[in-house]
Amino acid sequence: MLTYLARRSLAVVPVLFGVTLAVFSMLFLVPGDPVKIMLAEFVTTPDQVAQMRAQLHLDEPILKQYGRFVVNAVRGDLGTSIRSRRPVSTEIGENVGSTAQLALASMAVAVAIGVPLGLMAALARNSWFDVGSMIVALLGVSMPSFWLGLLMIVAFSLHLGWFPATGGGDLWHLVLPSVTLGMIASAIIARLTRSSMLEVLGQDYVRTARAKGLAWWGVVVRHALKNALIPVITIFGLQFGNLLAGAVIVETVFSRPGLGRLIVGGILAKDFPLVQGTVLFVATAYVLINVLVDIAYAFVDPRIRFG
Amino acid sequence: MPTERSPRFVDIVVAALLILTVACPLAPAALAQTGGTLVIGLDQEPPTLDPHASPSAVTYQIIASVTENLLYRAPDGKLVPWLAESWQSARDGRSVTFKLRRDVKFHDGTPFNAEAVKFNFDRIVDPKFKAGGARAALTTYAGSKVLDEHTVQVSFETPYAPFLNLVASGPLSIVSPKAVRETGDQVHTRPVGTGPFMVTEYVAKDHATIARNPAYTRKAPWSDRSGPAYLDSIVWKFVPEAGTRVTTLESGETQAIYQIPAQSLPRLEKNTGLRVEKTPWPGAPRIWLLNTTKPPLDDVRVRRAINYAVDKDALLATVARGIALKAFAPLTAVMLDDPALRQAYPFDAAKAGALLAEAGWQPGSDGIRTKGGQRLEIVLNAIDYGGGPEPTVLLIQSSLRDVGIDVKLKAQARPPWYEDNYRCATHGPVMFLRSIDPDGLFSLFHSSFVGGNFNWSCVKDAKLDQLLEQGRREFDPAKRRAVYLAIEKLAIEEALTVPLLDDLSVWAYRANVQGTKYNFNAYPVLSDVTIRR
Repeated sequence: MLTYLARRSLAVVPVLFGVTLAVFSMLFLVPGDPVKIMLAEFVTTPDQVAQMRAQLHLDEPILKQYGRFVVNAVRGDLGTSIRSRRPVSTEIGENVGSTAQLALASMAVAVAIGVPLGLMAALARNSWFDVGSMIVALLGVSMPSFWLGLLMIVAFSLHLGWFPATGGGDLWHLVLPSVTLGMIASAIIARLTRSSMLEVLGQDYVRTARAKGLAWWGVVVRHALKNALIPVITIFGLQFGNLLAGAVIVETVFSRPGLGRLIVGGILAKDFPLVQGTVLFVATAYVLINVLVDIAYAFVDPRIRFG
Repeated sequence: MPTERSPRFVDIVVAALLILTVACPLAPAALAQTGGTLVIGLDQEPPTLDPHASPSAVTYQIIASVTENLLYRAPDGKLVPWLAESWQSARDGRSVTFKLRRDVKFHDGTPFNAEAVKFNFDRIVDPKFKAGGARAALTTYAGSKVLDEHTVQVSFETPYAPFLNLVASGPLSIVSPKAVRETGDQVHTRPVGTGPFMVTEYVAKDHATIARNPAYTRKAPWSDRSGPAYLDSIVWKFVPEAGTRVTTLESGETQAIYQIPAQSLPRLEKNTGLRVEKTPWPGAPRIWLLNTTKPPLDDVRVRRAINYAVDKDALLATVARGIALKAFAPLTAVMLDDPALRQAYPFDAAKAGALLAEAGWQPGSDGIRTKGGQRLEIVLNAIDYGGGPEPTVLLIQSSLRDVGIDVKLKAQARPPWYEDNYRCATHGPVMFLRSIDPDGLFSLFHSSFVGGNFNWSCVKDAKLDQLLEQGRREFDPAKRRAVYLAIEKLAIEEALTVPLLDDLSVWAYRANVQGTKYNFNAYPVLSDVTIRR
């Protein structure tokens, strides 16, 4: 187990290295002079352009710039936002809580809807319930989150007046965004739970358990579901990335504070340090969460630990 | 500034959806009351609330009744006293002396005086300070001299007439020196001013709250009464998605919203529970800057033909319906209006055709004109935010096709769009410019701004340069108007641009919100607002 942990953790290093390289190159992949682009909204003098260039260290050799970027990032210094003139790390700190809240709540919604739905569909295979729920799940997978979000707003905010359409803060504000985001993830989880459950239900040990005379429901929950959920855990990690991507849109639709809004605002304002810093943070979080998922996976499935 | 976003697919989708919705019931009529909280949905979050650091209009929308200026510019364009009781320009035009009010205190209790004015202006030009639009407003600033506790003289290296209008605009509003010195970066979220409202809370990506300043006993220049604001507080919510913003107004989650998409406007206007208000923006209209250096636009006849050929009424009937007026000149009508300007270039396809023929462009077999085997093609530089080029340029394209000009749209992201403008690489972009003084034309047409912001007509004209410089020196309002009228006539005569639309600043309110007013900048001043209950 320890070797597995060590191996898995070490594998993160080249991934994170690649992330820093990709994020750093952003500045150079965008066409045009980044300084001129950032200052485009101002009437600028050559002095100001030179000053900005020096401030961003763009006058140094590229390798040195990259070295500085990585060293600073490791120290937690992600630079200063052009637009707000505040440290990027402070901006991230202010917004990360809200996005984490949204991601966790969405995950909870996704599991609460997806697992039972998938389970029922598998048990009632080829029934109208199975077909119906899988059609709904297909719709869910294909549904763009901005569209679902707007439908939610029109239905539950404008017509029924149950929940506010905008803002962050208390649980009340969390309902519509997390349901929007969670519904989409739940569709994927439902489909996966169904197929994985069907596979497990066909296994010998399930038949054996039934043959021993165990109660049907006990077999389903204790023997089948437990094993069927293993691949679902993996999907958690991957879905987390989707949730972060979805947060970019859902946070904008629901005017909710968070990392997604931070990135969108940064892109619109051509605030390179802000976008670089936030993307680096989100990518790192994604990588680390997947490591945690892998480790959790090893715990529930001995084949991985010893394999 | 060209920071407009094109309407997205989302907007259209939500509009279609909301057409199905029912109008909200009317609030019961009651007497005007003081107190209460007004929630306003804005389309974006300000980069900062520091008036001196911001490059963005949204900052001044929020703080227009928080920080005050030495002078106030009323919607009719007249300058009136505000924090200054009176002012006097020096004979040589290089300085202005302000006599300040003696009864003014900042929200932090410190007195407003000549030292404070000097501190503010010195702060803006301090190389260590990253100023926004304020820095350009103090072009050639030489310094401020405290003549006595309540008299200050502001000097410039050269005569600088635009200063009087600019000193009445948000970027040169006055903040508390004590707060700047002692609270550091907090000035970005909590600027301390002298106005009828003060900033009390700022939650990033969510909202900013301004609350009544109970100590405000003066008469605000837009008001006909003395004393504090009626409302307890105003919450500015940042709601970037237009469809969501419109819905919050209809559901009552907000009582006012700014920036209404054209397709939602008819529905809001029909809703008797709501009221829509429109104010013209000062500055340059939505305008196509014709690159005068790139053939075939180096021929003035072709540029004039384009001006005759663009059907602005079609724009107003479709994509700009209800959110703009017809533009005639490189300044919006609220800046400078004259019958001579309005007569230039009525829509006349026949005349456009005749001018093109005169320039040697004969109708070709595919409907596009040719000259010496070359097709009449023009490349319009268009911003694309991901939803395709903005609809205005699509209509230009179809208008010009009717007279035999093939307009190619170079739809691209903002960075390369700017780069092409700097390099004069296309036949010009469609853009707009917000500016409170006609001197905004300086950055549009002065030869020193080719390759920078915003002389994207790439025009270098000695006569224009001389007039633009003269406008900066001229203090007499009538003579000044004559100078800028001459500049506009010259720009029209030479067809340097195609003025398209004077954009309107569009706000919508719940019908029970009353007493809304706007300053010349089209920013709301809200101390007389009440909410009927």
